[in-house]
Amino acid sequence: MSNPNQAALEHLRIIRSLMERAHVYRALSAPAAMLGGLLAMAASGYLLWRGKSVAISGDTFLWVWLGILGISAIANMLLLARDAARRGQPVVSDGMRTASRTLAPPLLAGGVLGIGCVLHLDAVSLAATIWVICYGLALLASAGFSPKSLVWLGRIFFLTGLILFGLSFLSPLGWGFFDRAIATIIMGATFGFYHVVYATALFIRGTESTIPAIE
Amino acid sequence: MIDFSQIDKLIHEKGRLAIMTLLYTRGEWAFQDLKAETGMSDGNLITHLRTLSQADYVSERRDSNGVRPKTSYSITKAGKKAFRTYVEVLEAIVKATTK
Repeated sequence: MSNPNQAALEHLRIIRSLMERAHVYRALSAPAAMLGGLLAMAASGYLLWRGKSVAISGDTFLWVWLGILGISAIANMLLLARDAARRGQPVVSDGMRTASRTLAPPLLAGGVLGIGCVLHLDAVSLAATIWVICYGLALLASAGFSPKSLVWLGRIFFLTGLILFGLSFLSPLGWGFFDRAIATIIMGATFGFYHVVYATALFIRGTESTIPAIE
Repeated sequence: MIDFSQIDKLIHEKGRLAIMTLLYTRGEWAFQDLKAETGMSDGNLITHLRTLSQADYVSERRDSNGVRPKTSYSITKAGKKAFRTYVEVLEAIVKATTK
């Protein structure tokens, strides 16, 4: 590389690439996504199979999915802590602080609106749709530091949520009698199936360094 | 006209450039973390870090608390200044040669 212009461009490209990648923070570990996804699919499948998704109360629906969220969140934190310890970094790193600040507003908004829909409007499928949209928004908001796979997951969640919201207007009474069954399917298909696909894709691709090899 | 002698030869080497960029971008790095991110061997990384330390571009911190002692590295003020100057020189070369 004798041309100074080419050499300078190459070095600037390396700097840019390294700087971008040094900021990457994966707020959702693949094993936690797999665990949460499988739990969500199992819960959804069980409720549908036993026909409980039709008769289930709003409160029970909330407790089931808050329980799955709690287990998945704890597993995710433990895995992130283990990963940080392995790399000799503090658990509460700059990346985690940035991720928390970015993810908290849309997740909090989704949580509050969704719980409000269940408790005050008894609109369970609307709550599930709001959770899907807000979760997608949270992942999209993290695009500045998240790996591409997580941003794609956010896009898919967000689009799915919008489509579901549009579909709910097809019937003037919303999903009516099937409201809870639809909500259960939504939760299983999105928080369940999407997360399993995401985690599987990461497992297949394997662990990759966030920095390209240095020659 | 660009004076090519302005290029900091110490940073211009790709391995050291990677180390300097990472340290400049994200504060303190543990040795193992730097090794994982750059994909360098222990010996290679130590040699580069030693060279940068001798130039006062990088500082070393040893933490003997805990089960395993940990060595972390961060960029010094002089290192930051040198890195910024290096990037400016590269940008000037690109500008000058693309006119």
